[in-house]
Amino acid sequence: MKILCLLLPHFLLKCEALRRPDITDRPVIITRTSGSQKLVLDFSPELGGLQPDIPLQQALSRHGHAELLSEDMPYYRSVFSGLLDALESISPLVEGTELGCVYIGVDGLQLIYPDDKRLIDAVFRTVPDVFAPQAGIAGNKFLAYLTARRCPPGGRQVLTGDIAAFLRDLPCDMLPVSMKSREKLRLFGLRTLGQLAALPSGPLLSQFGPEGKRIHDLARGYDDTPIYPRMMEKAIEESTLLASVTVSLEALVVSWEKLLGGVFTRINQAGLGIRSMNVWTRTWNAEQWERTIKFKEPAMDVRSVINRIKRVLEEYPQPGPVEQLGLVISRLGFPGGRQNSLFREVRSQDHLMEDIRQLELRLGNPQVYRVKEVEPWSRIPERRYVLAPTSR
Amino acid sequence: MVEDTGETVRAGAYKPVNAPEIIQVNEDAAGLPVVVKNKRRQRVGYIDDCWRIDDEWWRTEPVSRLYYAVRLASGQKLVIYKDLVTGGWYRQSY
Repeated sequence: MKILCLLLPHFLLKCEALRRPDITDRPVIITRTSGSQKLVLDFSPELGGLQPDIPLQQALSRHGHAELLSEDMPYYRSVFSGLLDALESISPLVEGTELGCVYIGVDGLQLIYPDDKRLIDAVFRTVPDVFAPQAGIAGNKFLAYLTARRCPPGGRQVLTGDIAAFLRDLPCDMLPVSMKSREKLRLFGLRTLGQLAALPSGPLLSQFGPEGKRIHDLARGYDDTPIYPRMMEKAIEESTLLASVTVSLEALVVSWEKLLGGVFTRINQAGLGIRSMNVWTRTWNAEQWERTIKFKEPAMDVRSVINRIKRVLEEYPQPGPVEQLGLVISRLGFPGGRQNSLFREVRSQDHLMEDIRQLELRLGNPQVYRVKEVEPWSRIPERRYVLAPTSR
Repeated sequence: MVEDTGETVRAGAYKPVNAPEIIQVNEDAAGLPVVVKNKRRQRVGYIDDCWRIDDEWWRTEPVSRLYYAVRLASGQKLVIYKDLVTGGWYRQSY
């Protein structure tokens, strides 16, 4: 197995630089909100002493002059997804494990790219220069990752020769294992992969359980983790800029209802429902809120999705007044079966809705509306209520 | 089952209720409404009330309106407003 690991260090920061080139030469910290706390998500490389997930106060005590930006995960993901799309033109085996880290299966590409240099050239051509990618090629994912990590920005390396010598002096912190295991290794005084490789596997297994075997294998350069290519399901993304900044949950729900109406118009014809989706909002001061909603049975209509969204909104409050919102449908599915209600009222309501749907299908546009409260307290009269199609 | 006409059902089919309607108004020197053309031209008998709303001043299209609750010569009550951004007159129930 031959794998290329492509690392894009400080990916989030580079994404921001892509849309705001003016921040390239300025010290910037990207923050995320966790509960009531603000944490560092990414930062300019010149800001020393910072790490992801440290509290923002701690970061500002060192670098008070840094410009603060709130995270924009949907944007970062769409940039990353675009990169993966481009890389899939080189190899069908592309796995984006996390934002800024890609594994590409490059076995069998010799006829297209006769040597590794041309292969990496092709990979680098798909990535904008601003990302300063680092590429490493090796026989498995772990070695490819380590090789890429040791490259300078824009650098490349193919791992050849003595693997044991390559691994010997690397720190144990590079192992892709749990924090708890890393801490335990530190307490045992095991600092390098060379020290780990020299140990017999038995003591490691007895101390670390199943992870001990993996630690031992990785320390000796064995990694049989396969590449998991992206699921080929096409995600549906919809977003909207609200007419006015709002804190009203009803207004948010109505906007999501509108977006879902569009989604269901597209997928219902194929008999599909929603299995999994992400809902997100962006506040007027660019703070991000995002939640994943999964359905045990595919949701086949707007109402069932909206009910879940309402519950999520009540459980996880918005960080501020919302200016933009959207959704990403990540999984679709066919319904297992559907049973009509036992109750006559519910059945007649279902029949009425079905009749309205048929009418609209025939005439092409929503024909029956109901009045919905959006912002009944608004000082702007036309913002208080909307007419919503009944069939949605 | 009705056959699919092939037409796309519009997703963005939500309509605002009580959207403002453009109306012709003659103003006096002080900017107050004196004649309103609402189906036919009518003089404004008197102004019952007047209030101003300013909102969303931080956006590219701020809202700045001066509302008048007027009584026309025929006795009809009407709420109109002047859009202070564009200068246009509108009729809208408040």
